[in-house]
Formats: sequence, structure tokens, C-alpha cells
Amino acid sequence: MPPSKKRQRLSQRQIRVRDLERDAARRSLNANGMNGSLPPLPSSEEDDVQIENGVESGGIGTLFGHPYGALPYGNIHLVDSSKNHPDYVRHSGLGNLRVLNDEQLLEILSFVDGPSLAGGIVNCSRFLYVAGHHEELWRDLVLRLWGEIGFDVPDKTHADGEAEKQSDGVQVNHNNSGCWKDIYALNHCKSKKSSHHPEKHKPVSIQGIYSDTFFRSWLCRSFAYHPSWLSTHTVQTIDHSKLTTKVFLEQFEETNTPLLIKGASSSWPALKKWNAQYLIETTRGKSFRATSGAAPLPAQFTMDNYSKYCKSATEEAPLYLFDRTFAAKCPQLLDDFDGALKESCPFWSCDAEHGHDLFGLLGEERRPDHQWLIIGPKRSGSCFHIDPNCTHAWNAPIIGRKRWIFYPPGVTPPGVHPSPDGDDVCMPISLGEWFLTFWDAHVERRSHPDVRKRPLECTACPGDVLFVPHGWWHLVLNIGDSDSGSFNDKGMSVALTRNYVSASNLSDVLRFLDTRKNQISGCRDRHEAVQPDELASEFRKALSHVEHCQQAADEEKKDCDSGHARLKGRWTELLEMAEAEAKKGWGCAAWTDIAQESFCSIPEKKNVEHKSSILERAKLQQTMDSNNTSATSSSCEVFTFSFL
Amino acid sequence: MDEDNTVGIVKLVSKEGDIFPLSIEIAKLSNLVVTTLGEEEEHDTDDEDGNNVEIPLSNVRSSVLEKVVQYCVHYSKEPMTPITTPLQTLDMAKIVQKWYADFVDVDQVMMFELVTAANFMDIKPLLDLTCLAVSFYIKGKSADEIRRIFNISNESVSQQDAVITEMSEGADEEVV
Repeated sequence: MPPSKKRQRLSQRQIRVRDLERDAARRSLNANGMNGSLPPLPSSEEDDVQIENGVESGGIGTLFGHPYGALPYGNIHLVDSSKNHPDYVRHSGLGNLRVLNDEQLLEILSFVDGPSLAGGIVNCSRFLYVAGHHEELWRDLVLRLWGEIGFDVPDKTHADGEAEKQSDGVQVNHNNSGCWKDIYALNHCKSKKSSHHPEKHKPVSIQGIYSDTFFRSWLCRSFAYHPSWLSTHTVQTIDHSKLTTKVFLEQFEETNTPLLIKGASSSWPALKKWNAQYLIETTRGKSFRATSGAAPLPAQFTMDNYSKYCKSATEEAPLYLFDRTFAAKCPQLLDDFDGALKESCPFWSCDAEHGHDLFGLLGEERRPDHQWLIIGPKRSGSCFHIDPNCTHAWNAPIIGRKRWIFYPPGVTPPGVHPSPDGDDVCMPISLGEWFLTFWDAHVERRSHPDVRKRPLECTACPGDVLFVPHGWWHLVLNIGDSDSGSFNDKGMSVALTRNYVSASNLSDVLRFLDTRKNQISGCRDRHEAVQPDELASEFRKALSHVEHCQQAADEEKKDCDSGHARLKGRWTELLEMAEAEAKKGWGCAAWTDIAQESFCSIPEKKNVEHKSSILERAKLQQTMDSNNTSATSSSCEVFTFSFL
Repeated sequence: MDEDNTVGIVKLVSKEGDIFPLSIEIAKLSNLVVTTLGEEEEHDTDDEDGNNVEIPLSNVRSSVLEKVVQYCVHYSKEPMTPITTPLQTLDMAKIVQKWYADFVDVDQVMMFELVTAANFMDIKPLLDLTCLAVSFYIKGKSADEIRRIFNISNESVSQQDAVITEMSEGADEEVV
């Protein structure tokens, strides 16, 4: 699939300059699709492996070389061109196709079926061998054929880091050689009812491949974490034992300030019980949904297969398991934390006096999606977004640590371009791309003259719970258990999250439900949920209803059924205050009332099922028809609001 | 932006300098046109409503641009069936309408130039159609055949993908 591009308005002069550049790029046969030129890595005879955590002077440290030997296009200038045209591997390897650039080539190959790729294309020439093994091609083939019904993932057979010279003199890399082709082969054989077990694919390193397209997508998934990326700690942190409800509400929820609560989840059974084996056993027979901004389709995985996928996932934007149905599918998982959460964090219990989880008043089925099990391979995560429906959230890592970067409401992070009305956001689709391109700009922002506009960062560990206030931009990266960039430390990162409405964000939520109906999410793809057009009024009804319930219960001198009853007598007051605030304006700078046309248009993806409420909001036109899933085309990738 | 501007014309200028006037509504199939016109209106550099704006397309030859314009014009009357994968058939005329199947019945040189032009002008349906057409040269073919079609030098790659080749031998036309 083509890498992400940013669509920006251009002046006449810029158009002419761009024309010239494109012309030049076409002549030089390798258009650099997006960022500025990547620094050339030193070319080498043998693949240099592992520069763990190191950053070479002026270069980018990586964990291992490109599995097929591709180098950035800039390296071509270091090649001795006295004998051959420096790009002769491409010339001779593509023949007439060489007039196309690598992105166009991949676009064409994306229409080709598996056997033709594997039996035909990769055997044509060295260049086509590399192109035909592009990881994303195989991923898309698997997803189109078996994404919805589920597919098997083979076991990993080789240790990472093994580079082996075979008996025929060919060097083979066992490190991070990708997994999608192996997945395809396994399921292909299964579908042919063959008992053949395909051998794992062993990439061969080819000399003379210069391509920013191939190199970039590999680089975005394999760069080493620089220690400085993980070391800053500026989010306020309180030890759980020292945090009272009063302090939490007054100093954090009401002031809309992020907070890392150390040890808040250490009493949860999940912390002790959950590991890959337990999750696989507890969820046996169930499938979960995984998606990625780059993948054309979602995929259904059993926990067993997803765990195997995590061990070998190698794409730029891996499939990320985000499942809102886990509690219904496997109640045991809910039991492993729900009760303990209410004890350890009473401010997050719907019994709380200040009014918590108000969407819950709508009832489990009718309320928008609100809780997710989040699992991903190391190095996966979410690029910048704001949580949906103006909600606050808490996020608890259970296995593996998470690196967080926050930007305050209304302060757009580097590399992110929201449309003025907030409907759409343009940004890199992969974390790797963001870190590689915008890290320096981010570091500058840390010293912004206005302290309130500076980003905040922290690392959340299993046992901690993070409070994510509404309206804050946040980016999350799963960094595993240790700081070493070793790719042997693979496996799943597991976390839990819930989004909620409480007294502190009620006014913004009401205003949002009234004025941003087309941005409401978490309900469109479930028919039993209250739909966006009715959510505002139904929510208000539910809020008023509690008061009546409470009054009725008082009269009969018994306890009201509603778990929210403790707010006794204050519901009307709460609602009235919130309505008054909502009328005045937004309480949070994340939302403003500038109504302008969105300039960022949405890509049309092949065969995408637009059931996800996230993708559904990616519409250019004003149609609010939730059944209409058409989208106009563009070269800009949009990653609209998603969850962690 | 005035969406009702049915008489508005945009002038696409080919590499050789030939001008291809096209109604704005039809030309908006190209996102490049959309972006350029949007910018024009802001700057008010030309007639009102972005009329008569010239858009230079310096790497699209006239013969190619002519075809692109034909495509856009036809699309405005009969939008192309969206191409969705997995494909159910290898018969182009069954995937898209006959006009479009005939449209891509051209030689390789023109075909590749259409891919490039569709990419540059950001016309997604045309890009899909042309990439699909090129992929038909590849599907179901052996490495030898592919090399012959595209004039690729014969290079041996030390690793054969025996598994999937075996599996596809003797199988019916494999489609994805």
C-alpha cells in the first residue's frame, strides 16, 4: 500500500516547483513519496546487524539491516558508476516497467494474487524479488482472503538476530524477515487442503537495490529507540497510597490535568493472572478484532494466533487489537479487574458521589462504546489523537510498559494537521514515521515560552494507571519490558482502558452531542446503541430519570436501583449547571467553533468495510447518512480519532 | 467555493503546451485540479470562480492528456464501477464497463504513461484501472513470460519459491 502523504494547499509557485521535482523524480525513477530525503546509511558489503539503542553520528541507528538489502536512494551517489549505471539493478530488473516509480509499482503489484507474486514476479529479477516481497503486499492479500474469517499464524522457528551464510554462499537474514508471506503460505496450503507445511521464507540480501519506498517502510518499523525518547518524565505523578478522591477530583479531573497514579492497579487480579497463556486459555474459541491505519481491512484473530503474530510482526503499522466486546465474550476478564478497580480507585466508581460514568445511565447496550482491551506487539501504538465524545479516560497497562506523549488541548502536535472543524486529521499513519520525522520539532516544543503549551511525557508501567483528561492530544508507544531495543523482547503488550463522562466534563459533552453530531462515535455500527442524532436527548433523559428514580426511592424509603444514586438530590443541580456551562461555550480548548471547510480529504481504500465508527467519520461531504459509506479519493491518509 | 459553476472551464496544459479545456465539474475528478483551483480562488488571481485557470501538467504528453480528458468526460456520464478486491474474474469487461475495458486496451508505453499521469493528477479510479490493467500482464504468468512481456533481463535469483509454485501448478486460474 502506498505510504502516507500529506495533502496541503499549494501556491502557484509551489505547484511549479513541485512539478519540476516530480519531473526530476520521474526521470530519476525513484520518487521519494513523502518526507524529505532520508540520510544515506553507509553502504556495506555485508548487512550490518544491530546497532541497539545507538545513534550513529548524523545517522539513524537501526536494529538490523533491511532484510532484502535495500538502501535509501541517496546511497546511489556513493556508488562507483564507471562501469554500470548505478541503478542498473532496477533498470535491468524492471525492463519497460522502469518508467514507473516504486510506489506505482507496488500499487500494480497490489492487484496481483499470491501465486503469481510468489511463482512469477519474485523469480523474474533481483529487483522484482525485493519488490514482490514487500511486506504490506502480503499482508493485504491475507486480509482480503481471510481477514474476516480468521487465519492461522505459524510459529516462529528462528531466533532473531541470526544471519546465516548458506552453503551456496548466499547470506540469509533470520532477523525480522517479515511474517505475512509465511502466514499467506500457511493458510493457502490449508485452503487447498494440503497437509504440506511450508518452510519459513528466508530473505536473501540483494546488492544494488536503492529505493526510498522500500527502505522507508522498513525503517519506520525497525529504528532503534533512542534513550532520550524514553527518558523525560513531565506528567504529574502521585503514589496511589497518597491520592485521595478529593485531591484527584479537585486537582486533576476538574483542572483537566493528566496524572500518572503509581501502583493504582497493583491490587487488581489481572496484574497477577494475566499472561499470554492465561489470556489464550480464558478466551479459547473467541475471536477479536484487530485493525491498523495502514491495512485495508480489519482482521479477526484468536488470542493464540494474535500472540504468534505479535512475536513476528514487522510492518510499519502493525495490526492492533482493540476490542470492545471482551467483557461480554469473556466475563472472567472483566472480573479480573472491575471489582478491584472500584476499591483502589473509588473516584472511578459509578457509586461515587461526584457523578462518574454518566453514559452508563443509558444502559450497557445503548451507551456508546466505552471499554477496550488493547493488545499490540512491541513498537505498536497509536499516533496522536483526542479521545472521542469529549470523554475522560483511564488507561492501565497490564503487560508491558507504555510510553506516552501528551499535547495540551488546542495545541496541535508537530506533524498533525486537523481540519478547522475538527472532523478530520492528517498525520503520519505510523509511529515510526512520526518519531523519525518530527522528534526534533517535538523537543523544541518542550521549551515553548508558554509553559501551558508544552508537551508532557511519561512511561506507564504495569501497576500504574494513567488519567487522560478530555481534549488532550496523546500518542502511545508500546515499549515492552526493558529499555533495550532488542527485538528478541517481543510479545504482546496488554492494557485496559475506559472512557467516561463525569461532572467535570459533562458540559463539554453536552455541547459536543448537540453541535458535533457527525463526530460522535462508538455507536454507529451497533444497532442497539443510541444513534448520534438521538444521543443528546436520550442522554439528558437518562440524567433526569435518575433524579426521578431517586425521588421515588426516597418516598418509598428504599435504595434506588441505580448505581449512581449516591448523587442524591444533586442530579438536577448537576444537569442545570452543566447546561448553563454548555451554553456559554467550550470548557476545553480542544474544541472551538470555527466553521470552515475541511481541506484534508480522505483516501478511498480498496474493499474497506466502513463499519468502524472511526473510519465512518472520514467523510468529506456533509451527508450524515450513516449508511452511506462512500468516500472520495485523495492521496492523503487520514487517521481519525481512535483509541489506545 | 461556488459548486454551481457549470459553465466554468479549466485549461489543462500538456507538456508540449497544448491546451485541453475541460469543464470544472468534470475536471474535479482529478484531486490535483481540486487543490489547484481551491488555491486559485483564495488568491483571486484569475477570473471569478476560478474560471479559465490554466493548470500546467509538465510531465503529461498531449496524447496521454487527451486520453485522460476522455476518461474524465466519460466518467461524468457513466461513472466507472469501483474496482474491489478480491477480484472475482480475470475478464476486464466483467470488472468494469465495456468502455473502460476498451479504454485500457493500449500498448505498454501508453499504459505506463497513463499510470504516471493518473498518479500525478491524483485520479484514483483511473489509477486503479490502469494498475489493474498492468497487473493483468502479470497474473497467472511464469517468470519467463513476465520477463518477455516487460523486456526484463534474465537474472537468476538463488531462491525459488517452490511451495506456492507447486500449489499453483495445475490449479484453476487463481484470483485474489
